[in-house]
Amino acid sequence: MLAPQIMPVYYEWSSLKKQGCRKQECPRFELSSHPLKSNVTTMNDTTSTSKKIIESLNKWSSAFVEVDPLLRFEQLNTEDEISHIEVTNKGPNYSKTWSSKRSRILSKYTTGEKLTIISSFLPGGEKTLIRQVSNLNEKVKHRLEQLDDFDESSVRKTMGLSQQEFVVKINMLNEEIKKAWDTEQRVKAFKIGIQCSKLLSDVNVMQFYPSKFVLITDILDTFGNLVFDRLKFKSYGTVGVNNLQDIDPADVSELAKETCQNWLFKMASIRELLPRLYMEMSLLKCYLFISKNEIKPALVRLTKMIRGIGNPLVAAYLRVYLCHVASKILGKESEEIYYNNLKEFLCDYQQIFHQMMKKKYEGQLLTLDKYLNLYVPAVDWLLYGTLIDSSKCKDTLLEELLRQCEEIENNELLLCCVVSAFDSLSIIKKSLYILEMIEKDTDKMVLLNEILTSFGEHLSTAENYRHQSAETLIQTFWKVASNMKSAFHFLQVLEPWLQFACTHLSTQHVNIILRGTIRYMIKCGRPADEFSANFQFVVKRMLKSIPDVEELFLMDAFMPLVELVQTPNARTMMAKTVLSMFFSRYSSDCIEDPIIISSLMRLCTILHDSISAVTVEDESKLFADLINKYIQAVSYQDDFEQQLNFYVESRSAFIKLDAVLVTLVHAVNALSVRDTGGAGASAGGWLQRACAAYCFITVPSLHCALTKLHLYLLSGQVALLNNCIGQAEANFKALIGLIPDIPDYVLEDGQKKPTHIKVAGILSDFLSTLLILPDNLDSNCKVYILSGLIKTIERIHWKKTEPLYYSTLLRILDLLSELMQEKYAYHLDCVLSNDVLYGSESEFVSVIENYATNICQELLVVLKMLGDVKETKKQYNLALELFWRVIRRGDLHQGPMLSLGANLWMLSQKLQDSNNKLARTMLLSLENDNRPASKRLLQKLEENSKS
Amino acid sequence: MSTNLSINLKRVSKVYNEGETIAGVVVVESTGDLRHEGLTLAMEGFVNLQLSTKNVGIFEAFSNSIKPINLINTSMELVPPGKIPVGITEIPFEVPLRARQAVSPGYPGLLETYHGVFVNVMYVLKCNMKRSFLNKPVNASCQFFVQHKQQEPAPLKPVRCEITPSTIRASSTSSGGRATMPQFQIYAEIDTTVCPLDKPLTGKIRVDECSVPIKSIELQLVRVETCGCAEGYSRDATEIQNIQIGDGDVRRGRDVPLYMVLPRLFTCPTTTTVNFKIEFELNIAVIFEDDYLVTENFPILLLRSR
Repeated sequence: MLAPQIMPVYYEWSSLKKQGCRKQECPRFELSSHPLKSNVTTMNDTTSTSKKIIESLNKWSSAFVEVDPLLRFEQLNTEDEISHIEVTNKGPNYSKTWSSKRSRILSKYTTGEKLTIISSFLPGGEKTLIRQVSNLNEKVKHRLEQLDDFDESSVRKTMGLSQQEFVVKINMLNEEIKKAWDTEQRVKAFKIGIQCSKLLSDVNVMQFYPSKFVLITDILDTFGNLVFDRLKFKSYGTVGVNNLQDIDPADVSELAKETCQNWLFKMASIRELLPRLYMEMSLLKCYLFISKNEIKPALVRLTKMIRGIGNPLVAAYLRVYLCHVASKILGKESEEIYYNNLKEFLCDYQQIFHQMMKKKYEGQLLTLDKYLNLYVPAVDWLLYGTLIDSSKCKDTLLEELLRQCEEIENNELLLCCVVSAFDSLSIIKKSLYILEMIEKDTDKMVLLNEILTSFGEHLSTAENYRHQSAETLIQTFWKVASNMKSAFHFLQVLEPWLQFACTHLSTQHVNIILRGTIRYMIKCGRPADEFSANFQFVVKRMLKSIPDVEELFLMDAFMPLVELVQTPNARTMMAKTVLSMFFSRYSSDCIEDPIIISSLMRLCTILHDSISAVTVEDESKLFADLINKYIQAVSYQDDFEQQLNFYVESRSAFIKLDAVLVTLVHAVNALSVRDTGGAGASAGGWLQRACAAYCFITVPSLHCALTKLHLYLLSGQVALLNNCIGQAEANFKALIGLIPDIPDYVLEDGQKKPTHIKVAGILSDFLSTLLILPDNLDSNCKVYILSGLIKTIERIHWKKTEPLYYSTLLRILDLLSELMQEKYAYHLDCVLSNDVLYGSESEFVSVIENYATNICQELLVVLKMLGDVKETKKQYNLALELFWRVIRRGDLHQGPMLSLGANLWMLSQKLQDSNNKLARTMLLSLENDNRPASKRLLQKLEENSKS
Repeated sequence: MSTNLSINLKRVSKVYNEGETIAGVVVVESTGDLRHEGLTLAMEGFVNLQLSTKNVGIFEAFSNSIKPINLINTSMELVPPGKIPVGITEIPFEVPLRARQAVSPGYPGLLETYHGVFVNVMYVLKCNMKRSFLNKPVNASCQFFVQHKQQEPAPLKPVRCEITPSTIRASSTSSGGRATMPQFQIYAEIDTTVCPLDKPLTGKIRVDECSVPIKSIELQLVRVETCGCAEGYSRDATEIQNIQIGDGDVRRGRDVPLYMVLPRLFTCPTTTTVNFKIEFELNIAVIFEDDYLVTENFPILLLRSR
């Protein structure tokens, strides 16, 4: 490679030998900013742009959120609702709670059954059976039917709608009401309202009923608001009133009153009970225009009239709507209405279990618990409103309700709702009583799991519970829970109760429960894998709530419980959950307990073993992350042998994960350095050598060449630091051997990234390490490693115009110049570097000078080639760099060097203006140099520029 | 040139008591100057009687005798002949609502407005603009409603009843020939049979026992109109409205409230005159799952009272 014949002139490089004591006068560049300072761009109009950016970011990120079709519908409506008058600014926010409850209903109560809608305001659909029988002949009949298609009074029945189609239809009706209203077809809007509320009498697809209720009451709300707003406009004009309470019947115009009366009369003459009640409720706030005193009696009356609805499900939701309307008008005062309705509901409670209803839900293939679940939101809402007033004595109310629970048959629904609705404090006070009640009816209770779950949730929030009764509670609970038939429910219930146990009982108790759980799961006869998700919840909850995470691993039942799931997938998930929860909660720096270490090792091994060719990259990254955390946390304190053994073991256990191996190499290197404590007096003890060997063996198994390169360097450096010259050399040799294999690009996060910047960094680090590496005296070659590097570079045909190539050469030149010094710039305490080894022996110096000359020659070749391919800028930079090295490192007393410097300067001046900052600074530093040789060069430069 | 004539009453509800003054404006809208022969306003009130078709055969002989009964008929000149300028002209008027002074035998006085099947009581304001020889006269009319002044509230007359298979007269139900009647015991109560028209009709019903599921409980308001004179009369009961108060199989032993708002125009105080009678009745109907119907009938007296 170093072919002098292509160069016109041959310059021999001779380095300047610095006097050891001479004060270095380094020329300096003037810089305006610190090179390590990160780039900060300051934006002047930060407020507007950043907000915009964030908004657009939000928009983008939110676009990916899959919105449930029902919820989307719901969102549309809440937007409308905001514009309406709020009842009271203070006090509980009913509308907010309502909207949150309704969205929960919409997401919970869904169906795959076919739905039916009966309406005269929707296109399509079959004719209903409700048609007059006529004796007309077929032809006439057909014609009449065609006419009927345009007649809005013909009622159509659309059957076989999917849930989504149903929602769309309802949405259409909602729009239709608004449209009809805006086009003065107010009676049509009224009729749509009636038809919609009639739909609520249909309980054919029961499990959708709560959602249907929510959708249809939205329509009714829309209608009620339309009427109300028009009346408001009629009496107050565009000014309007902001508060319902501000409407004074005395101010209301006669016209508005008359219109209002008309609506009420119209409503009162609706034949069927259910639509009449719904319509009256939706129009209830219009009573405000007639008389303030009519609202409450009307509410009381409606509360009673609901008794006429025989179907308990329909009636319960009707009460919900009544209360909803009442809270909108009366605000906090509606509490009494809630309570009354609750009482009414309780009076009709047994109706829920009526034979007729049983036939109905069994006909729809619903189980009793699913059927009862349909009532839960309704009772919840009634209880919510009843309990909203904090001034009332909740404890007495609770006592009363619990007493009622005790008295009535089939009390599970009520109990379930009561337990979930009351605040934790009251429930905790009554916990023993409640549990006793549950225990008594355990066998026939249907919603047992729900009751126990919400009960457990209350308990788990308890701050301090008397220890004594906590034990009895848990015992009773266990008696109930261990007899549950469904393992699924068992796990669901276990979750909160375990938290309670964790926070309030000793580890022994928790351990007993865990053992019991294992027994239950084994006894239940079904593999635990079916419930792996629930299992995870339980374990997660436990990890979250136990005061000291380490204690969990000390329980003898914990690991068996975790390993109860057997399928590989479930096991992996479980191990992942446990590990990530553990590390998120684990507070101290290191894990020392051998039991925990081995348990975690087991989990990590599960994770590692699950990795296969099809594992997603992110997943294995996450696993590696968890395992890394583990490796970094494990500590055997001063037992280095044990620690190293652990690393050896880990290497064999986690061989598939490169990231873990990297961590291991780093950990071992750290261990190796930690032992010496910085003082290398012991000069390569067994541990250091073992560590170095470990690294040397581990690194080749990695995939990424760059990482290997880096780790070889690091391990070599550590070995050198520990005065293990042989090991260091081996590492460096391996490093050099690796250089040809480095690809130009590596794949990182799915993107191709060029490697040359990193390689350049590593190489320059390597070169500076080489300065202190003592030469291998056994070989007959001076600067053994460096010469190996140079030979490798020769061999691998780098493209000569690559910056990586010539900058590496420049750095080698730097190193060679430094190597020639009598005393090197830095040393390691215990390592004898070449300056001491050779003591500037002439043979050594001449070898180095020879290398330097060759490198310099090669650089000149590069310079010429750059000129040939018209890379002016690169050429210019290289010329300046080389010039800089000549004036800094070269011995200017030597003629060749002087002329080389002059020629390089000329070349650079020819290529670019001398006003370049870099060039000017270099010249300036030359000017400031007092050495005669420098003066001579300067003189020569000036002469040249003149001529 | 087009002319538009309309009557606007001051009172939006258009409801007046006897002795009050009906105030309003006649609005003349014209696209050009309008020459006319005088503007008159007439107030008319009458009772229309109709015979039900099923009785027509018997009554044909004296059908002529059923003529509208005039209740009030006054007329006044609003504007003497002259010219009305282009644009909108409002002519205010006031007419006292008073019964006729010279009472003929059988004159019932001012009755309340009522829309029934065979009896109708209507009041109309009519405005007539006479025009010159070749032009058609322009007419406008406007209905208004008469209500009696509210009397002192009458004492309550509550009624209670029990409906059981034994209280049912075999003939009263259409499916009287039913082999086995279900076992039931129903208790019903109406707060008063003397009902103020402006107040809802209230009461309660309780199903104490019923061996078959109930489909519906309904409250039916019925008018009984009697027309005729000494020679003969027709008496017809027709439904005004039917309101469901129980839907489905209601819970046993629970009081379900009865509640019915009496519809305007279709009800009026119970009236008896020489030529006709308007009476009202209330039916409580319990319909079982198999459409078997049990009803109980209550005559009620409607009053215009507080």
